[in-house]
Amino acid sequence: MTIFKTFLKVLNKCKAPILLYTVILIFFTSFNMKTNENTMSFSPSKPKIIIVNKDEFVGVTKDLITYLSTHCEVVEIENIEEKRNDALFYRSVNFIVEIPQNFHKDLLSKKNPTISIKSLHDYASSLVNRMLERYLNIANSYLNLELTEEELIGKINETLTTEVKVEIKSELDTESLNKMALYFNFTNYCILAGTIYVLCLILSSFKNKSIQKRTIISSIPYKKYNRILLFSNSLFAFLFWLFYILLSLVLIGKNMFTMHGLFYILNSFVFTFCALTLSFLLGNIVTNKNALNGIINVIALGSSFLCGTFVPMEWLPNSVLFIAHVLPSYYFIKTNEILKTLEVFDFESLKPIFLNMGVLLLFALGFVIGTNILSKKKQKLA
Amino acid sequence: MFFHNFKYAFKTLIKDRMLLFWTFAFPLILGTFFQMAFSNIENSETFQVIPIAIVDNDAFHNHTFLKEAFQEFGKEESKNQLFAIKYTTKEEAEKLLNKKEIDGFLWIEENPKIMVNANGINETILKYVVEEILESEKIVKNVVSFEAAKYITEQTSDEEIYKIMAEVGKNVLKMQQENNPTIKDETSANMSYTMIEFYTLIAMTCLYGGILGMVSINHHLPNMSSNGKRICISPTPKGKLIFSSVLSSYIVQLFGLALLFLYTIFVLKVDYGSHLSFLILLSFLGSLAGLSLGIFIASVFKVNENTKIGIMISITMFWCFLSGMMGITMKYIVDTKLPILNKINPANCITDGFYSLYYYTTYDRFFYNCIRLVVFSILLLFIAIIYLRRQKYDHI
Amino acid sequence: MKNCIEVKNLVKEYKNVRAVDDLTFEVHEGEILGLLGPNGSGKTTTINCILSLLKFSKGKIKIFGKNMEPNAYDIKKDIGVVFQEVAVFEELNVYDNIDYFCGLYIKDKTKRKVYIKEAINLVGLENYQKFLPKQLSGGLLRRLNIACGIAHKPKLIFLDEPTVAVDPQSRNNILDGIKKLKEDGATIVYTTHYMEEVEILCDRIIILDKGRVLASGTTDELKKLANIEEKVTIEGVEISSTILEEIKQFKNVDEILYKDNILFITYKKGKNNLSELMDFLKTKKVVYNKIFSERPTLNDVFLELTGKELRD
Repeated sequence: MTIFKTFLKVLNKCKAPILLYTVILIFFTSFNMKTNENTMSFSPSKPKIIIVNKDEFVGVTKDLITYLSTHCEVVEIENIEEKRNDALFYRSVNFIVEIPQNFHKDLLSKKNPTISIKSLHDYASSLVNRMLERYLNIANSYLNLELTEEELIGKINETLTTEVKVEIKSELDTESLNKMALYFNFTNYCILAGTIYVLCLILSSFKNKSIQKRTIISSIPYKKYNRILLFSNSLFAFLFWLFYILLSLVLIGKNMFTMHGLFYILNSFVFTFCALTLSFLLGNIVTNKNALNGIINVIALGSSFLCGTFVPMEWLPNSVLFIAHVLPSYYFIKTNEILKTLEVFDFESLKPIFLNMGVLLLFALGFVIGTNILSKKKQKLA
Repeated sequence: MFFHNFKYAFKTLIKDRMLLFWTFAFPLILGTFFQMAFSNIENSETFQVIPIAIVDNDAFHNHTFLKEAFQEFGKEESKNQLFAIKYTTKEEAEKLLNKKEIDGFLWIEENPKIMVNANGINETILKYVVEEILESEKIVKNVVSFEAAKYITEQTSDEEIYKIMAEVGKNVLKMQQENNPTIKDETSANMSYTMIEFYTLIAMTCLYGGILGMVSINHHLPNMSSNGKRICISPTPKGKLIFSSVLSSYIVQLFGLALLFLYTIFVLKVDYGSHLSFLILLSFLGSLAGLSLGIFIASVFKVNENTKIGIMISITMFWCFLSGMMGITMKYIVDTKLPILNKINPANCITDGFYSLYYYTTYDRFFYNCIRLVVFSILLLFIAIIYLRRQKYDHI
Repeated sequence: MKNCIEVKNLVKEYKNVRAVDDLTFEVHEGEILGLLGPNGSGKTTTINCILSLLKFSKGKIKIFGKNMEPNAYDIKKDIGVVFQEVAVFEELNVYDNIDYFCGLYIKDKTKRKVYIKEAINLVGLENYQKFLPKQLSGGLLRRLNIACGIAHKPKLIFLDEPTVAVDPQSRNNILDGIKKLKEDGATIVYTTHYMEEVEILCDRIIILDKGRVLASGTTDELKKLANIEEKVTIEGVEISSTILEEIKQFKNVDEILYKDNILFITYKKGKNNLSELMDFLKTKKVVYNKIFSERPTLNDVFLELTGKELRD
């Protein structure tokens, strides 16, 4: 009971950092989780574009803009060059189209007017580029037919009506699964930083030299002493984990009550346990509170950057992922990624997931053994 | 006296391991993490070929337009390559789709049909390209019939019509291939947004550097440290001592920043734009802002040193978060939705200053950022001095 | 005799506690003044007020006849303070620490070098000049703390419990050092709750409790306040109540207490009390292990004045 009380007291002192991690988590997830009504039919992705029209809004110009608007999401933005450039740089839009003055007249008189673009050169902007080329190609093709502007527009639109049927095969609710994966990948940072920070702080108080002297000479065997500490630490870690699970219910909602959600929760539980044993080990190695802060940041940020918390795993270079194998976070995030695209829950498909959890538990075992060896050695003060 | 204190302030600062970690080592470590994590991210975003499959049945073989077009789009090593195409049976295509090895497949029964796994941009491109091909078929038919009509009179024999049609068709196709619409790409060459991450790193280092200033102020405060009491009862004017201590912490801070610059430029290959003098100006001002923040926190808050450092680190982290350290989207959102927040955020002023040097060719924005940093520093220093002028304390 | 410090009606209030309550006293030039009092009696607060570190609610403080102000630099240059807590830079070694603090007073480098050397010799840290504070033992750290406070040869020195938690060897070293400082002409204000030190060291003593002066004067003057002259203790003795009654009837005996085979006798005055008692015990054939006589201590004075022990 005394240990538990001490825990609550120290915990009370760690409010600020826990709050900070949580606020960042909520910010991060809610910004990346725009809720969309998920449908099982195909809806084409719409690249985001800005259209700058220096021509009059008539004729072909008007038609081109209407065409782009139906297939792209047109972002309205202040008509300032700098704002547009910022939007492009910060990936808020994929593409900027600038229609020059007298475009429709020049087009009709076969002067082949130039449209300036700015592009991110990613997949979405290559699609816009295709649209633009397609429209201009069609227009050019019909120019020789010596049509009036209206006839030309009519012809173009007649051509553009072609539609191919697309079927979605997968029955996964990709949207909410992505959301879940994103949330739980990010908890990697929060759980790691949070548990290590709080537990190490508590442990460093317990492991303070003069206090440690007392525990060493007391009649409790070191293994039992460690077990008691481990238990109280576990309790905190459990509450911490529970908090993030509850938060996930708030942020993600009913989709958490699926098989996928269940496995995400299970996975994070295993990971929290691993983080707990890691912080126990660290708390035994590092007794200097100042050094602690640095080590926590390096471990938590390092694990997060190298294993795919901030940058999705598929975008990390192979060399980095190779190094990441030595970090527990890798197996945690790997499982999240597998879950994201998992369609059936049978033994074959769950095998890699259980394997990863097994690795996490092995890590945990290693940390526990390491802690016991260390504190046995440390029974004699240097 | 000034130099005496300066020398020892310097000595104390560079022997404090915890300080050196936060101001020197931590940014280098974080920079290395950035480099490792972000080195591939932009490559994976730029357009690469999309893996698809096409069900190779009779219907597809007979559809000359689609067949030829996809041959063109699937040509490896070609500039126009859009897809990596596997020609398979339907069962195999479905299998590939299940394993996520392809993004979708094309399958012609009566009409062309596309099967995909999910909504997405690659899937949309596939759909779009198929439509495009089908449309050009339509165009050719339209144009050919129109062009051919010019040569065909009632007297023209069927044989001739066929010939004319073939001739015109060839021309139209040729024209379509040659006729590239004029689209001018004016994208800036400097579009790499991972640079922003490194800029926020510089901003973080500038602000963390303020911890140095904070610690040296603490050494002079009798209610913060016993050394402060000792210094306070000495016959040397407080202002003089504080100024020389702060100056020495500023120099240590700049030294750490220089180290980070060298590391990021020569090891991590970060591009800071081409204006060395502006770069240095911004670094000096950024560090000054950090220093002022440190002095401000040290003199205004009445808590112990570790808590002050905690406040400093938390504030800095939050500001860096707003200026895009954990993802540039955050910076843009704040910049557009709540611009005032980022205008008074020194981390953003530093980040945005570097960004404007990198991305823009004009300097207005850069100088606005510099001015904001100066105003920020002066304001905080002013408040801090009011607090520091106090000479007696209620509590020690 | 000139007054070095004059404190008049000093009052310092924290939120609802009066730490210093209408305190008035002087420190004469060339003397060692002992401020004696239990923990929390306001000794350190008084010093901080004198040094103008703390705001105080009421009162006047003069040093060297001038008003003490935060920027009275001409006064400050002649003051040296050794604080209760060790006030040194963790990052600097012994020599650099002394040099830094001395440098705040003495600009001349060659002069400073000599002064630092003298300070190091005074506290006996010759062999530790390159050591960092954390490498020093508790006693040595205290000595460094003192060296930092007095290296600039101040005329007025405040020593705030400089011997707390110090081994006997270092304590003697420190006390010797303080005597030497006095010989060199410094005025010293010395606070402690170790009365033995005060008795050995101080010319004059002020006893403080709850921020008030309980008594002041020389050791002898104060001891008179204790109302007793001699204390005799007999250990390992078995004594009947009749003999006890007889002893009680002795002249000069103030009080006797018999407990656990130990007999305490206090005398109001008298010179030959001990021999008289021993003769008496001999005739009564009372056997004992040990007998000794003590003069009253300042603790007895404190006990007399407040009804509680000086040390907790």
